[in-house]
Amino acid sequence: MKTQESMPTTKVERSAKFVKTGFQIGGNYVKHYSKKLFNPDLSRDELNEDNATDIYNSLSQLKGSALKIAQMLSMDKNILPKAYVNKFTQSQYNAPPLSGPLIIKTFTKSFGKSPEKIFDTFNLNSIQAASIGQVHEATLDGKKLAIKVQYPGVGDSISSDLKLVKPFAFRLLGMSEKELNIYIREVEERLLEETDYELEVRRSIKFSKACANLKNVVFPTYYPKLSSNKIISMDWMEGLHLKEFLATNPSQKLKNKIGQALWDFYNFQQHELRAVHADPHPGNFLITPDEKLAVIDFGCIKELPEDFYNPFFSLIAPGLMDNKAATIKAFRELEMIQPNDDKKQIEFYHKAYKEMISLFALPYTSKTFDFSKPEFFEQLYAWGEKIAKMPEFKQPRGVKHFIYVNRTNFGLYTLLNELNATVRTDTFQPHLSK
Amino acid sequence: MANAEKIKDNYIDYVLTNGEPPKSVYNFAKKTKITEADFYKIYGSFEAIEKAVWEDLTIATIITIKEQEVWPQYTSREKMLSFFYSYMELLKTKRSFIIYTLKKHPTKITTPNVLSGARSVFESFAEDVINEGLGSGELADRKLFSKRYKDALWVQFAFIINFWMDDDSAGFEKTDEAIEKGINVTFDLFQRSPIDNLFEYGKFLTRNGKLKEKMGF
Repeated sequence: MKTQESMPTTKVERSAKFVKTGFQIGGNYVKHYSKKLFNPDLSRDELNEDNATDIYNSLSQLKGSALKIAQMLSMDKNILPKAYVNKFTQSQYNAPPLSGPLIIKTFTKSFGKSPEKIFDTFNLNSIQAASIGQVHEATLDGKKLAIKVQYPGVGDSISSDLKLVKPFAFRLLGMSEKELNIYIREVEERLLEETDYELEVRRSIKFSKACANLKNVVFPTYYPKLSSNKIISMDWMEGLHLKEFLATNPSQKLKNKIGQALWDFYNFQQHELRAVHADPHPGNFLITPDEKLAVIDFGCIKELPEDFYNPFFSLIAPGLMDNKAATIKAFRELEMIQPNDDKKQIEFYHKAYKEMISLFALPYTSKTFDFSKPEFFEQLYAWGEKIAKMPEFKQPRGVKHFIYVNRTNFGLYTLLNELNATVRTDTFQPHLSK
Repeated sequence: MANAEKIKDNYIDYVLTNGEPPKSVYNFAKKTKITEADFYKIYGSFEAIEKAVWEDLTIATIITIKEQEVWPQYTSREKMLSFFYSYMELLKTKRSFIIYTLKKHPTKITTPNVLSGARSVFESFAEDVINEGLGSGELADRKLFSKRYKDALWVQFAFIINFWMDDDSAGFEKTDEAIEKGINVTFDLFQRSPIDNLFEYGKFLTRNGKLKEKMGF
């Protein structure tokens, strides 16, 4: 495997990379409009495709937070047009690895020993890239372990990366800077948390204990003594990633079983733990040979504070939406309707958000839900594209918690859709304090 | 009882505690409870001690990295990376003293005398690594330049040490990045590259094309 030889890390280098993308996107528009002169039927799809390719190509050369942001954007299928999404999804796989000596150095710094002295065997060639680190295979006392090693300088570059990505995010999402800052800060906080591997180990242990009784969900054992702020040691989990699993043509019954495990895992956390694994991308899960769902990454946890949880989940309680006053009250608490909105605006946002929440809450309204139905997702995408064109939604609305909660739930829905699973959606109910 | 280690440790301790070298060898010897003659048997001057510290650290690094199980599997590039990562780790244990020895010599262009011992150790190590790379074909053998490869690595050596002296990032993480990038770039240049092909092509044209006549030479 070719090892990455240059990782642009200084701000100047990274800026250069982004500037280049800016030029290319400009170029794509020129190309688009000049083609359009001759062929007025040309759709924006091709332009979107060109832009997505260029943005992706730039982002894929950046490690760390930029890659993470690409991942984030790729999760929000409801906001981005499809062409962007397909390209961005690629960024979840395969970033080139760092040199062997640097891995050894990282171990020496953490433990005063090289990996070969800590483990019985340690493979210096990483087998997989995680967004801010890479995964190595090791054995100790006859046990196979997975060792996650973080790239140096990641935490440091996150803030400067976010500043650089901002203008792109604004352009992609069509929003202006000032009001998006509160959301950017939320993202920055989560990303910085993800670089704290000691925190991740503590959380992984806590969450795997709390979720231990869930049916068909399993977790690796974590080894705090073999972990540090740059290294996480855990059991090696045998299993297939979602795509590989689906390629084996599993039975519908099995797909439902895995889907149910996913649903239970997320809804147990949301309603019982009030904190949720907020990174539901396929790389974080394995399907084990004994047909269980293995969760292998607790880097990103979103806590749901009371003042968000209550109004948000009250909305999906049956009947609430029929009560206009109560609905508007909840929307106000969630800042989807804002204090200085006039009457007309209140009417407008009430209608639009009611439509969105009804759509979003559809799986909760029946005892079981079939996620294989394309109509549901087409409606979600259509709604996303519709609001993307509405000037009323040019500025973001809603409290900052929406970013990760939406990402989590849409991510979950998307995974279930890929699985074509039908699941019971009434296994964990919201607990609302009145 | 005088031995090199003890004198060295006492000297380092003295310098770091007092922020300056001892007034005289006599004065230092007395504090260390040895005779001046004992001192001179091992070191000719205080600077000789500082030089020895550098040299010892460099040798210790080379011995340590060669003991690694993976060492024989490493490419030249990885061997050099490995050297710097381990070297910085070792220098860290004596950082205050290391910085003290270098701050005394403000010029950064020429090699300060205190590094001369370390330099020859490093260069002979670098030469071994380079020759291995040349032998395996990892590095390009260029008639005039191959002999200078070790100089390029010495420049990196000086750069990395200087970078590290000013590095205030946690765990000197930035220095790690400087090493990863700097050594990789240097080895990229040592490898066969488009420039070599361009050069070959130029040579071919001057020999075989009618370029000379056409240009009026």
